[in-house]
Amino acid sequence: MIKNGLKRFYLILIFILLYAPIVTLMVLSFNSSKSRSKWGGFTGKWYVALFQNQDIMNALYTTLIIALVSALVATIIGTAAAIGIQAMKPKFRTFMMGVTNIPMLNADIVTGISLMLLFIAFRFSLGFMTILLAHITFNIPYVILSVMPKLKQTSKHTYEAAMDLGASPVYAFFKVVFPDIMPGVFSGFLLAFTMSLDDFVITHFTKGPGVDTLSTKIYSEVRKGIKPEMYALSTIMFVTVLILLILVNVTPEKKASSSGQKQEIKKKHRISRFIFRKVVPTAIVIVIIAGGFFYGSQNSDAGNNQVIVYNWGEYIDPEVLTMFEEETGIDVVYEEFETNEIMYPKIQSGAIAYDVVCPSDYMVQRMIENDLLAEIDFNNIPNLKYIDSTYMEQSRQFDPENKYSVPYLFGTVGILYNKTMVDEPIDSWSVLWDPKYKDSILMQDSVRDAFGVTLKYLGYSLNSTDLDELNEAKNLLIKQKPLVQAYVVDQVRDKMIGNEAAIGVIYSGEALYTKQENPNLEYVIPKEGSNLWIDSWVIPKNAKHKENAEKFIDYLCRPEIAKMNFDYITYSIPNSEGRKLIEEDWMRESKVAFPDPEDLANCETFKFLGDDNDAVYNQLWREVKSK
Amino acid sequence: MSNKLIDIVNITKSFDENVVLDQLNLYIRENEFLTLLGPSGCGKTTLLRILGGFETPDSGDIIFDGKNINNLPPNKRQLNTVFQKYALFSHMSIAENIAFGLKIKGKSKGYIQDKIRYALKLVNLEGYEDRTPDSLSGGQQQRIAIARAIVNEPKVLLLDEPLGALDLKLRQDMQYELIRLKNELGITFVYVTHDQEEALTMSDTIVVMNQGYIQQIGTPEDIYNEPQNAFVADFIGDSNILPATMVEDKVVKMLGAVWQCVDVGFGRNKPVDAVIRPEDIDLVKPEEGIIEGVVTHLIFKGVHYEMEVLANNYELLVHSTDMFPVGTEVGIKVDPFDIQIMKKPESEDAEAVGIEE
Amino acid sequence: MKNRKLLTGPYLFWAASFIIIPLLMIVYYGLTNKEGSFTLMNLARITTPENLKALGLALLLSFISTLICLVLAYPLAMILSEKNVNQTSFIVLIFILPMWMNFLLRTLAWQNLLEKNGIINMILEFFHLPDQTLINTPYAIVLGMVYNFLPFMVLPIYNVLAKIDKDVISAARDLGANNFQTFSKIIFPLSIPGIISGITMVFVPSLTTFVISDLLGGSKILLIGNVIEQEFKQGSNWNVGSGLSLVLMIFIIASMALIAKYDKDGEGTAF
Repeated sequence: MIKNGLKRFYLILIFILLYAPIVTLMVLSFNSSKSRSKWGGFTGKWYVALFQNQDIMNALYTTLIIALVSALVATIIGTAAAIGIQAMKPKFRTFMMGVTNIPMLNADIVTGISLMLLFIAFRFSLGFMTILLAHITFNIPYVILSVMPKLKQTSKHTYEAAMDLGASPVYAFFKVVFPDIMPGVFSGFLLAFTMSLDDFVITHFTKGPGVDTLSTKIYSEVRKGIKPEMYALSTIMFVTVLILLILVNVTPEKKASSSGQKQEIKKKHRISRFIFRKVVPTAIVIVIIAGGFFYGSQNSDAGNNQVIVYNWGEYIDPEVLTMFEEETGIDVVYEEFETNEIMYPKIQSGAIAYDVVCPSDYMVQRMIENDLLAEIDFNNIPNLKYIDSTYMEQSRQFDPENKYSVPYLFGTVGILYNKTMVDEPIDSWSVLWDPKYKDSILMQDSVRDAFGVTLKYLGYSLNSTDLDELNEAKNLLIKQKPLVQAYVVDQVRDKMIGNEAAIGVIYSGEALYTKQENPNLEYVIPKEGSNLWIDSWVIPKNAKHKENAEKFIDYLCRPEIAKMNFDYITYSIPNSEGRKLIEEDWMRESKVAFPDPEDLANCETFKFLGDDNDAVYNQLWREVKSK
Repeated sequence: MSNKLIDIVNITKSFDENVVLDQLNLYIRENEFLTLLGPSGCGKTTLLRILGGFETPDSGDIIFDGKNINNLPPNKRQLNTVFQKYALFSHMSIAENIAFGLKIKGKSKGYIQDKIRYALKLVNLEGYEDRTPDSLSGGQQQRIAIARAIVNEPKVLLLDEPLGALDLKLRQDMQYELIRLKNELGITFVYVTHDQEEALTMSDTIVVMNQGYIQQIGTPEDIYNEPQNAFVADFIGDSNILPATMVEDKVVKMLGAVWQCVDVGFGRNKPVDAVIRPEDIDLVKPEEGIIEGVVTHLIFKGVHYEMEVLANNYELLVHSTDMFPVGTEVGIKVDPFDIQIMKKPESEDAEAVGIEE
Repeated sequence: MKNRKLLTGPYLFWAASFIIIPLLMIVYYGLTNKEGSFTLMNLARITTPENLKALGLALLLSFISTLICLVLAYPLAMILSEKNVNQTSFIVLIFILPMWMNFLLRTLAWQNLLEKNGIINMILEFFHLPDQTLINTPYAIVLGMVYNFLPFMVLPIYNVLAKIDKDVISAARDLGANNFQTFSKIIFPLSIPGIISGITMVFVPSLTTFVISDLLGGSKILLIGNVIEQEFKQGSNWNVGSGLSLVLMIFIIASMALIAKYDKDGEGTAF
């Protein structure tokens, strides 16, 4: 009895371990606060918002279609292969099973990269098809490994008996062998479906523009803060599967005393089997096909009149895209990136012909220097007049003749601190090295930002290429590491809102939002100076729809559109007319969002330092990270 | 062959609501070859597992050599089991399999080596030490399973349908092998089977079981020649079971005629069952028989002919070395001592032990 | 029978195109420099102190999490294998079910649980217990690995244990083995194929992960997976990234060799 109690206790412990995060996510889906770290009261609004969110619904359908198609194809190829392998000589069988094991055992990252290299080398344009091919590839082994054991159990004689009775080999297979291995085929299919659904790494490397699965969508959101609709969606998916599972597994009581009861239970069993075998798959298929049509109708009128946009994650009001499409009839294919460094190789390789991209200052310079950009025809962008000349001037630092770029958003890098958690007013980068804030400091997790901050603190240029200066900065960063709670990018926001840390290095655009959520937070540009950055729209040389791209840029320069984006992203707009439209005074006049020129006295813009210097920076940063 | 070695007292065992053994009593003597015989589900394997220590009885006692062993775990019992599907350890060689029990008992290396050689010789598999179980045939695996059990020198060897998975020829060879083994080892065998021929061939004592009850205990001859009820009669060999009336001692009425028999003590004019083995029916000329009949079926079985004879609306099964073609009118005779009279089941308990339809 | 072998055709083609050739691409990139000429420099990059440290730490953390997974999973698999056979698929589904919540979200949820002001600390405070400070430490990464990969340890072990004939265990008891001896001499050796398969299925993904260390290690802790990811993403140096991937593949090949040795019949598959 004690033993049984212990066993049950142990099972419950493991169960808690497995399901605690899931319960957490479910709870979050009812959290009315947008921030992950704050409970704002119970709400069901995210469930409503979910179905209105075109992006997420599209990602969901892409995910489901890829999962379904890849699982189906993998099931067919895999089952056939398993039967063939079973009939092989042991030597070949071992070899084939070895090949099959490669995707199972190989690191996802290696598989993903290898497929990406293949697709790029063979000029497959990355997109829906490449994800599908990749998913089929890693799904086949699951099917083979599920079917093989069942095949081993089936006796060869039943197949031969069927042939003896006059069945053709195909008929014999489907009528005799197939029913025997059906459970294996089915579980292989289910497994493949699940694996495809859950995959991130491989999709991440093989996806193309405008296509997102839930995983990649979430990953791009991790940096910006997950949309609560995602929690709602995950909860719905999980609960659906859970209900299915319970339906299927309602096993009848072991012994029924009367035969009448037995009958009833049998009937129940039959009903549940009917639901499981017929109703549920039919329902899933209907939903997916309907969804596919729905999804297809969204894109069917695309034709060639489109514009392929490559932008930072969460860097535009989705409503703006819809309005643009409605007004111009141009279809927007929208893709997001997380860092300049991720974006650059994709443009450079030319695997995807983006029409309009939004890199940061130094990356614009790099792209100009490497001859990747087309000159913009400013006759097509009359709304450029609304852009404040200050920012056009600033742009000359990386685009000397203002020929290639149109400023979109800008900001500074500064310190966000929690008034209740620090002793003195903060005005210097030095707090980042103050031991009393040990484990309360959040540092930016990007090479240039981390070094920029440190170089500025040391009084050097944040574009320094002097090895001594850089080594000094490196040593300082290493010294800082024990004090740092975490290196993060956009998670600073959630962590600061949730009072996880006292001090964080953050972009000014986030400061406005965080202050709304947690009034104790203040933003300051340290007196040593900092980075003033500008993200600008550029058009790559290989763009196929240059005119549409210019129309798109022009549209974004409209004051009311710029204002919509400001409301949505809370990042500073260089659009002076647009700024005037902002309703709330404290925002419109915010020194954080729109700093006075004297605040920016010591600020610099990042420059591209050349591939060699980039390598030096990366090397030094890795030394910091691995200490 | 006289000392009681195991005494099974009032054993009851049920799984869930299902009573498998009900108040069962049985003793097993030293050095005997005792067979538990019955159809599947009769409780014979459960009884064996209770003896082996793999199941605990709900009530009742197992007395082994005068000591109650109810709560003794299997590893402490002086019995060893040969399992139905051999249960060899697939990750060990044959020698390691055989040495398993001895190593656990901490026997010396030399002793173990000798024992392995001895056991393999005993089961006619010398030189198989380094083979793996997978590389052996079913019969060979079975013999290794026996060797593995007997090296531990158990007082009792429990065998659970050990020949069930073997083909006919091998099964017959193994039957002789087992008898030889038993004689050489001089230990007690408790053997479970549903095959009556196996039971008759090898046993000193047969225990016929059905639905958790013992139907009859006796020597093979007793069981075959004098089945105590219709179930035993039907289960052991072919037989004709006929409704009859005991007119008085040694006189029985059946098949519309009056017959002489040797049974006494059933009272007067009492309904009974009469059993006649097919080989005990003599077919003679119509006028020489007690009743007449017509041959309706004829099959040649090698040693004898099997015929069905219709007499007074009863189909009688007859084995005979003489052949009577279908349609022949024959007379039927039975020697008085070949008619076995049995009580009809009366009470509910007795009903339960009857034949399951 | 001959035409049954032909059924392997599509898979053979597929495997060649999408498994073998891509791997050769990595080999090609890994052994050439940017100009396309042969070099071993990319492989040699593993010997820089930072990379060696990242590899060493990755090896250490994945070793620890594999060990924890094994220790947690074995008793669990034993308990589960005692259950009714009909529940097999149910048990498998219990472990696969969490995968319907996205992997990233699940891992992210651990941030919520582990944070300074997170849920676990709220519970600990309620009981007046000292706070835990796991987040952004290697321990949190180990926890994330154990959490994500535990099912891949449980399922293969469960599968081999469930397949062991009950009579074999009875036979061992019958021959005088006590509980411990039965376990150490019979059950454990028979379950080795499952253990080996479980170990590789936990060790390899733990060794190469970059997402878990990113999300739960606060990007303070650099594992070899992070280094490779950065070579492709931030450094955009595909050659070095491929070279390091090639080094990683040594461990993967070693795992495959282990499986081939101990699990010849493919008994220890997870599913």
